[in-house]
Amino acid sequence: MTYKIFLTRLGNGLLVLLGVAIMNFTLVHMAPGDPAMIFAGEAGGGDETYVEQLRQDMGLDKPLVTQFAIYAGDLLRGDLGYSFRNQRDVASMIVERIPATLLLTMTAFGIALIIGIVFGMLGGWFRNTLLDRGLMIVTLVLYATPLFWLAMMFVLLFSVRLGWFPPFGMQSVLVPDAPLDRLLDIGRHLVLPAFSLGLFYAATYARLVRASVINVSNADFVKTARAKGVPGGRILRVHVLRNAILPVFSLASVHIGQLVGGAVLTETVFAWPGIGRLMFDAILQRDYPVILGVFLTTGLLVILVNIVTDLLYRIVDPRIEHTAGN
Amino acid sequence: MFSKETLTVTRRTALLGATALLTLPRIGLAQAAPVDGGRLILIARPEPATLGLGLNLQAPTIYVGGKIFESLLTYSSDLAPMPSLATSWSISEDGLTYRFELRQNATWHDGTPFTSADVVFTADDMMRSSHPRWKLLAETYVERIEADGDFAVVFTLKEPFSAFIYAFELSSLPIMAKHVYEGTDYRTNPANNAPIGTGPFKFVSWNRGQSIELERYEDYWDETPAHLDQVTFLVIPDAASRETAFEQQIVDVLRPGDVEGFVARRLSEADDVIMTTMGEEFYAPHAFIQMNLRKPPFNNLKIRQAVMHAVDREFISNNIWFGMASPATGPVSSRTAFYEPDVTPYPFDIEKARGLVADSGLSGDDLKVTLTPLPYGQQWDRTAEYIAQQLTQAGLDVSIRGVDVSGWAQALSTWEFDLALNYTYQYAHPALGVARHYLSSNIIQGTPAANNEGYSDPEVDRLFAEAANSVDTEETQRLYSEAQKRLVDDVALGWIFEMRSPTIYRDTTNEVVTSAIGVMDTMKATWKAA
Amino acid sequence: MKNILKNTSLAIGLALLALILVIAVFAHVFYPVSPWQSAATPLLEPFSQSGLPLGSDMLGRDVAAGIAYGARVSLTVGVVSTIISVTLGVTIGAVAGFYGGVLDNLLMRFTELFQTVPQFAMAVVFVAIFSPSLVTIVLAISLVSWPPVARLVRGEVMSLKSREFVKAGIVLGESESGLIFRHILPNAVSPIVVMASLMVATAILTESALSFLGLGDRNMISWGYMIGASRTMLRDAWWLSVFPGLAIVVTVVAVNLIGEGFEKALNPQAHGERKA
Repeated sequence: MTYKIFLTRLGNGLLVLLGVAIMNFTLVHMAPGDPAMIFAGEAGGGDETYVEQLRQDMGLDKPLVTQFAIYAGDLLRGDLGYSFRNQRDVASMIVERIPATLLLTMTAFGIALIIGIVFGMLGGWFRNTLLDRGLMIVTLVLYATPLFWLAMMFVLLFSVRLGWFPPFGMQSVLVPDAPLDRLLDIGRHLVLPAFSLGLFYAATYARLVRASVINVSNADFVKTARAKGVPGGRILRVHVLRNAILPVFSLASVHIGQLVGGAVLTETVFAWPGIGRLMFDAILQRDYPVILGVFLTTGLLVILVNIVTDLLYRIVDPRIEHTAGN
Repeated sequence: MFSKETLTVTRRTALLGATALLTLPRIGLAQAAPVDGGRLILIARPEPATLGLGLNLQAPTIYVGGKIFESLLTYSSDLAPMPSLATSWSISEDGLTYRFELRQNATWHDGTPFTSADVVFTADDMMRSSHPRWKLLAETYVERIEADGDFAVVFTLKEPFSAFIYAFELSSLPIMAKHVYEGTDYRTNPANNAPIGTGPFKFVSWNRGQSIELERYEDYWDETPAHLDQVTFLVIPDAASRETAFEQQIVDVLRPGDVEGFVARRLSEADDVIMTTMGEEFYAPHAFIQMNLRKPPFNNLKIRQAVMHAVDREFISNNIWFGMASPATGPVSSRTAFYEPDVTPYPFDIEKARGLVADSGLSGDDLKVTLTPLPYGQQWDRTAEYIAQQLTQAGLDVSIRGVDVSGWAQALSTWEFDLALNYTYQYAHPALGVARHYLSSNIIQGTPAANNEGYSDPEVDRLFAEAANSVDTEETQRLYSEAQKRLVDDVALGWIFEMRSPTIYRDTTNEVVTSAIGVMDTMKATWKAA
Repeated sequence: MKNILKNTSLAIGLALLALILVIAVFAHVFYPVSPWQSAATPLLEPFSQSGLPLGSDMLGRDVAAGIAYGARVSLTVGVVSTIISVTLGVTIGAVAGFYGGVLDNLLMRFTELFQTVPQFAMAVVFVAIFSPSLVTIVLAISLVSWPPVARLVRGEVMSLKSREFVKAGIVLGESESGLIFRHILPNAVSPIVVMASLMVATAILTESALSFLGLGDRNMISWGYMIGASRTMLRDAWWLSVFPGLAIVVTVVAVNLIGEGFEKALNPQAHGERKA
């Protein structure tokens, strides 16, 4: 049953990926810039024969449809293409950046979940108290703060003024040898980027969790539990929490894509060696194969996350809880 | 013949001594003997696409590659040639034969001996097909390139070309290994990402998005190899982070452009920080407003004169570039050979500019223009905004086009612009870095570094051609002076400033800038106090 | 109690937004000189000279003037891109929900496609490729923000379709467009309004991020641009990035408060109808 659903979802996902490939391929090739000419210009200039030679080398002299056919054929063989600019295989360029981006986005996501759930539970449980109001104002402001601005302020405060955390990069220049020190070193570098990326989502989740806590507390099964004399803390943990987190799950799958998008900014400000920056550099250089490769990879990531959250959703389905409560 | 020219250059540089003195590096603590060891940390900005020097001529590739590769010569800050892979050289009386004696004990980083075959392969084969500047030079002037035994190379020219001695700088002709590249597709050769050179440092690793590691090459040809054990290039794409990295002593040296003038000035106020604007004499970057002369309004001389009068070049140099620039007077930088200071001046006078626009007889849509800015950071952005404002005040209707680097290159390369900001390297000699922007034969598409404005004057063509062929220094000066006067009268381009970009380092680091190409050079003499 | 609460957020939000709107609309009255024009000595601190309450930037331009004119860009981008994406989203969502079947399936795959690609990255690519201008920025933001609307509307339409009043319409022989526009959409208006107000906020943030990266309209001063332009001067001239940043925060807070106010005001009503 679940297995069959999983397969359908996977099939759908692959279809969507094909769409992503076509859409982005069309988009980037509609661009007015000629990559060969740009490449020549940066190399110090060249005459027309030089540019024409480059165009052939880059495979840009063929009709667009042929170019796509070649590209699609390569994709089917698992080949994301070749970056002429970087003289490297696109797949390997992306693969080496994935761990950094996963580390950053997953940490940010974790921070967002923890802060969001804690704030939301507190706000929802103690609703309309001073604590609730305070939390609401904090989340309202966080939700309205541009990510890049928050990042700038973090660096100014925690790195330049206080010197607590390094301002950029993922590792120190002299990477410590001991594995534990190495991990700590990366951890210290991770703090500022992860928080500046995660706080926006923390605010989102806090509001969501608060609303659903209020919603769930009014639900019959909670009222029943209360009437039965179950202690408040237990109700909060057992009944409310599980149900209140569900909407976060469904939103989270949408947010994975957004997080990767936000990583473009965070990774640029913090010199984090991830996919977001690879992408931004590629855009500035009109490195089409890399741009397309990043879109496909992140698309695949989003689809996989969607499937996983879907399965998780089934595991913690509210109806199961509901019947159990009754 | 050659020494005479060097003398002229030296004298000219001496005249500029007053300016140079202000920016000479403060001498550090007592100059002790160099200390061996240590790691020098620099910034790769932006991260190079490849380290295949000669195939990619962007600054970061030259910066990193310059420690790994060498050319035949390097140049002192007064632009005199100095030995590098060539130990000595001679030029025939008729100016047609250039002979270089080569190092006999140099080796590639994989242990293979370096010979004349590498030089001939690089100059006659590899760079002819992949280095646009060398390609043009070789096709125009070089008759043949031959080895004379294992350790001498002879270049025979078709006609005299006195600037040829400046063609052996690192980025102009980096010597590549024949045994690595011959018979391969140069652009996809794996060595481009793990280079093998003859320089004082050899490539160790490249951690994409983070850092590039080099280490001292122990079998370097010089009896004293590099002092430093390691050179690390950190990838730091963000300007504010680069500033912090230097302040927190993570990074040792900031090369020109790593931080903006404003920050450079502040950083250099610290007692232990040294700032110098030396080390750019060979490139002498020269900034200008490119005006498309093919159509109104810039086909009208009055409008071009108005542009010159409307823009306060002192203000740009001092307030936007924070003193890291100096107003330009014409097409040749005051740091390049054959500079002519006595040309028509265009003092800042917004009223006069307004009058000229009114007198031009143009109005309405003819005065509507777009400005394509150079997207190379804050200072260029400010410069574009300032120029747009000034020209608007003079009576033009200016809007700024939003472009990234690719869009900018595209606009210039295809001549689809009205006004654009641009700058050029002068490569020490007008025949190499200046003439290309004005020769009618160089009105070509596909590069932002040609005669993109569409300037055409047979007399200027003649003057440049004769000057390039002349072997007499005084005659050359006369021809170049005349060309400069004509170009300035015509306002072929709107020259704004000569960049005086700062190199910044701590006083514990020594011998950072030792030649006319500054930090781009090998840094074999650089050492850090223990 | 509930009424007061909902009114406060709505009231504060509306008041703030009205203030920003007045500043935006009358920017040229308050500051007749272009915000790009030097007005004073460069880098004056706030309140150090009368008439320059927020100081001047590196070219001596008035920061307060920049903020006033920047409000125009933020509000324009926020509102216009939301109108476009809501129109797109409602159309696609209503068609998919109403007709169902293969068409629904196709449209939903299409929607998923846009949700699969990281939104901000997509906007960056779009703007960079088609060169930054107010038009490309608005289009890019619209392009990446319609899918949630489509999904929402589709859901609403599907659930309303089986309702009696719609069935009655079908029996009475109303045209399909009549059904969608006269009967179904009016009933789905409240969640759309709430979502739209949040989209305005997101659009303002996205525009500022694009401008920060140097992908703004170079002829219109905007808050994100002001922050990006003074980024390296943060330590020496804090006011150049702090004030535009606050302007963004205040505007987005205002819009969010309005959205929240709407939600509180409209939801009970919608609930009531659903139960009916």
